[in-house]
Amino acid sequence: MFDMIGNIFKNLGTKPATRCYPLEKREPFKASRGRVKGVEIEKCIFCGICSRKCPADAIRVDRNAKSWEIDPFKCVICGACVEVCPKKCILMDETYTQPSTAKDKLTYIQESKEESQSQAG
Amino acid sequence: MIENVQNISVESLLRYVHDMLFNGYRFITATSVDNGDGTVDVLYHFDKDLEMKHLRITVNKQEEIPSISGIYFGAVLVENEMKELFGLNIKNIVIDYGGHMLLSDDELEAPMARQITIINKDKGGVPQ
Amino acid sequence: MSNKTVIPFGPQHPVLPEPLQLKLVMQDERIVEAIPAIGYVHRGLEKLTETKEFTQNVFVIERICGICSFKHALAYCQGMESLMGIEVPDRARFLRVIWGELHRMHSHLLWLGLLADAFGFESLFMQVWRDREKVMDIMEETAGSRVIISTNQIGGTRRDIAPEMLAKIDSVVNEVKEDVERVEKVFCNDYTVKHRMVGIGVLSKENAKLWGAVGPMARGSGIAEDVRTLGYAAYNELDLEPVVETDGDCYARMKVRLREVYQSVDLIRQAIAKIPDGPIHVPEKGNPNGEVISRVEQPRGEALYYMRANGSKTLDRLRVRTPTFANIPALLKMLPGHQLADVPILILTIDPCISCTER
Repeated sequence: MFDMIGNIFKNLGTKPATRCYPLEKREPFKASRGRVKGVEIEKCIFCGICSRKCPADAIRVDRNAKSWEIDPFKCVICGACVEVCPKKCILMDETYTQPSTAKDKLTYIQESKEESQSQAG
Repeated sequence: MIENVQNISVESLLRYVHDMLFNGYRFITATSVDNGDGTVDVLYHFDKDLEMKHLRITVNKQEEIPSISGIYFGAVLVENEMKELFGLNIKNIVIDYGGHMLLSDDELEAPMARQITIINKDKGGVPQ
Repeated sequence: MSNKTVIPFGPQHPVLPEPLQLKLVMQDERIVEAIPAIGYVHRGLEKLTETKEFTQNVFVIERICGICSFKHALAYCQGMESLMGIEVPDRARFLRVIWGELHRMHSHLLWLGLLADAFGFESLFMQVWRDREKVMDIMEETAGSRVIISTNQIGGTRRDIAPEMLAKIDSVVNEVKEDVERVEKVFCNDYTVKHRMVGIGVLSKENAKLWGAVGPMARGSGIAEDVRTLGYAAYNELDLEPVVETDGDCYARMKVRLREVYQSVDLIRQAIAKIPDGPIHVPEKGNPNGEVISRVEQPRGEALYYMRANGSKTLDRLRVRTPTFANIPALLKMLPGHQLADVPILILTIDPCISCTER
């Protein structure tokens, strides 16, 4: 019985083990798999390996429309897409996904070169 | 690949399982595999001092299988599960849930078994 | 003599983290019979694995259970490796031991906390979970995630641990060991704790074997069986003696788990001392064919994986037998004769993991 009382007095004398969360945030670890942040769309070659390897079917790649789309609500953040990407253009971030009010998808569309030229001109 | 597998007939199952009990084996679990040709393989796994032994029976889907839960009580859950998910006809389970251990009334029968689903595209791809 | 009443215990109950219902047939305060009702969290993962590629299945398998996710993936990967004839690099085998034992530590600490909560010892519960947090932090720092660490893949591991991190793990597990030694006194000597646990739910050695109990439950009854002694991963190169208690009651099962925390600390330190340099992964080639059985020791006991492949990218059948699935029949046989007030402790000492059970 006195064993626990010793523990309790020890805990009384030390700082709390928890943080005042919204005021004081922990630095995320460097190697954390927080979320798939997106893709560097200029580098993407639309091979579609990421969408085939994704265990949750969260990624959709359209070669013709040159679009890359991820559903963050389906994503299980395993990081398989990041590993298999031949161009290493999928980005991972160590911060967790923030809560959201709508189930939006992240869509990236590559602008074709002629188009960007015509826009420039 | 699996060592110590013995192929036996359904009729002799109970006799073999009794032997296992007599020889001091522990019942690990049973596994059912749908072969895709209307037959189902049922493997019973046993263990003694970390040595495994397996009994394999091959049955037709409707064929009666005697329950071994009277010998090894630990088989109760797995036999109910096989009965529900594969539609096996296992008789005399000690606690028989009658197909309602995992599934509710309005679910598919034997969802783990190979089923042919006809999808009619004219009706909007709804399985029939 | 009064009539029998049926009291439903669960699926929502303060001591149950997961939905399991037991229909208890009572005569006065004593239990006459117990019938389980499961199926609240059945997800059909076995069926799902038949539609995914065998490399993707690792991620599906990990999500069978949060607490022992690494061990599930390990069992699957080891089965696949033996089917495809892959020789796993030595460093990967040691890394698997380190992560596996970290998982066992955090699972047992979680359980000890839940147990303290079940007999109403809030401050002890908080204390144990606070110590557990150190293990969780290592997990996130090394693997990238707290629970579903996803570091296994067929042919090795996905991540390496740097030497300075290994040294840090070594010191942190030592710290955790000291913390656990402090709370161990409370668990083992406290008058109220002993009063709730000693002599409750006695499972004899013969019955444990007959009803198929596995893991700490069997070891608490004096069966010295531990699948790790088969020597998968790198366990064949480490000193390992199964932890055994002979009383077979709740107290013995708790002591087994407490001592297994120390055993894990010891194994991690051994593995860190012996880990060789080298690659951590060999790529797999071709598709698996044939059938195989793979067994691992999870925190809750032995898990059995049966796999049948047909030479294509998808598997024909993947069967998972998890430890709780084997322990529930023994629980049902143990309950009759006990008082209603002992039921929470009894259920908790089998360390039920219902997500594992129903897959």
